[in-house]
Amino acid sequence: MGFKFKGEGASTRGRAFLTFSPRSFLPAIPFLLIFGYFFLFPISRLIYVAFLSNENTLTFSNFVTAFQEPYRTGFINSIRIGLFSAGITAIPGAIAAYFIETRGPSKLRRTIAVMSGVLANTGGVPLAFMFTAAIGLQGQLTKALKAAGWDIYSGHFSLGTFTGLLIVYLYFQLPLMVIVFSPAIVSLRTEWIEAARNLGANQFNYWIRIGVPLLFPSFIASFLLLFASGFSAYATANALTVGNLPLTPLQIGGLLDGNVSAQQLNLGKALGVVMILISAMAVVPYLVIQRRAAKWQQR
Amino acid sequence: MSSKSLTLKNVTKKFGSVLALDNFNLEVGVGELVALLGPSGCGKTTALRVVAGLENQDSGNLYVGDKDLSETPAHKRNMGMVFQAYSLFPNLTVEENVAFGLQMRKVSKHERKKKAESLLELVGLPTQGQRFTYQLSGGQQQRVALARALAFEPEILLLDEPLSALDAQVRVNLREEIRRLQLSLGTTTLFVTHDQEEAMAISDRVGVMSHGQLEQIDTPDTLYNKPATSFVASFVGTMNRIPTQLSDGQVQLFGKNFPALKSSNESGSVIALIRPESIGITAGSQDHNAKVLTRLFMGASSNIVCQAIDGTIIQSLMSSNESGDLHPGSEVKLEVLNKEVLVTNA
Amino acid sequence: MKRRIDIPLVATLSVLGFFVFIPMLSAFEFSIRTPLKGGYGWDQYIWAVTEEDFMHYILRSGWLAAVTVVITLLILVPTLTWLHLSQSKIRPLIDGLSLLPLVIPVVAFAVGAQISFPEFMQNTVLELPFLYFVLALPYAYRSLDIGLSSIPLKTLTEAARSTGANWLKTITAVIIPVIRGAVMATVALTFALSLGEYTLTVLLHWDTFPTWVTYVAQENLLGAIAISMMSLIIPFLVLTGLTLLAPERSAQRRK
Repeated sequence: MGFKFKGEGASTRGRAFLTFSPRSFLPAIPFLLIFGYFFLFPISRLIYVAFLSNENTLTFSNFVTAFQEPYRTGFINSIRIGLFSAGITAIPGAIAAYFIETRGPSKLRRTIAVMSGVLANTGGVPLAFMFTAAIGLQGQLTKALKAAGWDIYSGHFSLGTFTGLLIVYLYFQLPLMVIVFSPAIVSLRTEWIEAARNLGANQFNYWIRIGVPLLFPSFIASFLLLFASGFSAYATANALTVGNLPLTPLQIGGLLDGNVSAQQLNLGKALGVVMILISAMAVVPYLVIQRRAAKWQQR
Repeated sequence: MSSKSLTLKNVTKKFGSVLALDNFNLEVGVGELVALLGPSGCGKTTALRVVAGLENQDSGNLYVGDKDLSETPAHKRNMGMVFQAYSLFPNLTVEENVAFGLQMRKVSKHERKKKAESLLELVGLPTQGQRFTYQLSGGQQQRVALARALAFEPEILLLDEPLSALDAQVRVNLREEIRRLQLSLGTTTLFVTHDQEEAMAISDRVGVMSHGQLEQIDTPDTLYNKPATSFVASFVGTMNRIPTQLSDGQVQLFGKNFPALKSSNESGSVIALIRPESIGITAGSQDHNAKVLTRLFMGASSNIVCQAIDGTIIQSLMSSNESGDLHPGSEVKLEVLNKEVLVTNA
Repeated sequence: MKRRIDIPLVATLSVLGFFVFIPMLSAFEFSIRTPLKGGYGWDQYIWAVTEEDFMHYILRSGWLAAVTVVITLLILVPTLTWLHLSQSKIRPLIDGLSLLPLVIPVVAFAVGAQISFPEFMQNTVLELPFLYFVLALPYAYRSLDIGLSSIPLKTLTEAARSTGANWLKTITAVIIPVIRGAVMATVALTFALSLGEYTLTVLLHWDTFPTWVTYVAQENLLGAIAISMMSLIIPFLVLTGLTLLAPERSAQRRK
């Protein structure tokens, strides 16, 4: 017979005390085992080890070092690149999502959805190549701009600098914004704009009183997710910089590879824990806002 | 009352190659409730949306009272509209929703609150003002939508299938309440529905539409008893369709002659249209002309399905008391109880 | 029927198009250069596909991705079906857990993975599909969750069970076909994510197609660009083809 389900009538009301009869969670065991072993266990171990000294005694010293130079600058740069790349793409991405979702024919919308999916996941060497080919020293756009009288390399610009990396990050952040913000646009009902007009609201009134308030939480949520994405991106930064730009993911990668040696063996773990905390500060509110918005979005 | 009459003159609206309204004319008197009824795609919703200004007509005019509103944008028309469902603003409370129209009209905050409260009371939700709309049931949401549409004392009230998403019982209650409110406020109302029972139950007049035009507009009684066309006859209520011959303006049904009411120039082979309640059944008669197939008991009345000798299936609606001795297989005599008979082309 | 040109839409698409295609076309132009002969040609592409390692790494990444897909479906479909049917108290817990990987930066996850697993596991590349499963989980879980929410699951299972199907049959012959849209989306998503995963793979010192490209770049830059172009354009074409061929999602709300 395999496993048996609880009877139809069994309600979940009786929450007074949680009775964990085997049946109530047995079928979830494969999931919990795999997820526990391959995710919860490594993360817990990471957190635990971050508090160990070289002699395996408990210590805070890894975290103390994690907030000193050069790691301090690494965090500042990573947070800045997360904030800037999200800040620059959020509004254009939202507007693009709005026009595509409200005015685009179905085939176009689906093509753009796929394209955004692919582009939001580009990174690393392929993305580095594309930008080197476009705005690298010998890039096509560089030449075109030079011919038009603007030499972007006349100053300190290079793709490996903060500004250069920021420009490259926009390439996956913008499609990501389109992806995460589109559902909010789709859930704006035509009935609302029609009802508003019927009640005497012009376009401006509608946006101020209804449209913007409804989209705003999703906008903030999307911004937070973009921040987390820019903050923790590794592959692209790794491909474009040569140790000249301190970023936390690169520093962790260096410590992991053994390319960079530190006095404290477990410093990389502490950096990882701090990264998780910062990322959680953005992603957790993102998840909470999405959940709330789902209340009116789903029907 | 600030209510006005509503007139549509020669309104035409095309969507691509589809003619949604074809030279459409309609008049709704002051304080009247008129329902537009018809199958989906007949243009009834388009008519309502043209009135609201949510669609622009290709040609023709729209008057409220003697004001020509043909070119007025939707937000300046001063008409309240209730949509099918989900039209409440989810970021506003119930009370803010109801007050929205007043806010757009720059009514003071205090005044808005007072008016919203009184309207919520009117629709039976006096304590729900501070809740959010997704916390309400479907029926309650539509009440709020109704309150919102009435709050700014519109000249015209438009109802776009406001009950279609609700459960049967709620639907019946709410339609009666809509009628009660509409009568007490005296608001001129245009009501679009595909449910004929709903239309008949609460309207002063019902307009039956097909292919972008009004087939007939009349009181529910006239529409039911004297349908002008065979479309109206078969769309409103149930009709038996009995094939027969038309000669000298007479048709013969079950051995008797009846004067024919023609809807156009029918002749020769025609179909007679007869309501089930106009078919009489006598049991135990010698000259029987049909056999009972089934009897469907529906409470006070029963639906008797018979097969005539020539094979035609005929339904009769009669009181359950009188039809108790009719069983499948009973041989019976059918007769037509009308004085005149509506015919249409075969 | 005349179509009026929608100016905001066209403007949006043009700006996006420039932004997306200028870097892509620039890289493409590089990849078809033939520096020795001058002019343009497909030399780098021909070099890439005839290179022995090319096929080797494509196949390796391909089967790793396929294993990830199998693991994902094997674990998630029965678990989610059960969660939907049983109204179990632990559903909120599992819903929440499935989102957790979003919170953890991949770099941090890689550090955790490196110090957690016993030697025999770190020595087999099969650890990757399980880790990819975790990375794809938030998306795969949601996609299947929405698919299962949109069907009358209870009625379907009861009907299948009452006509004599066992649980395995119910899931494979009834539930999966009914939610095939969501299943296909999950497969595409998990497969694409596994195929392109770089950070975790490289930090755990495994070689797959994406990490191989980095390696090639040190020896033959133009060849590496050609490979990068292919790794970007081929998934795009395949996925676009699939979505455009798949039936429209029904019931547009707009009248």
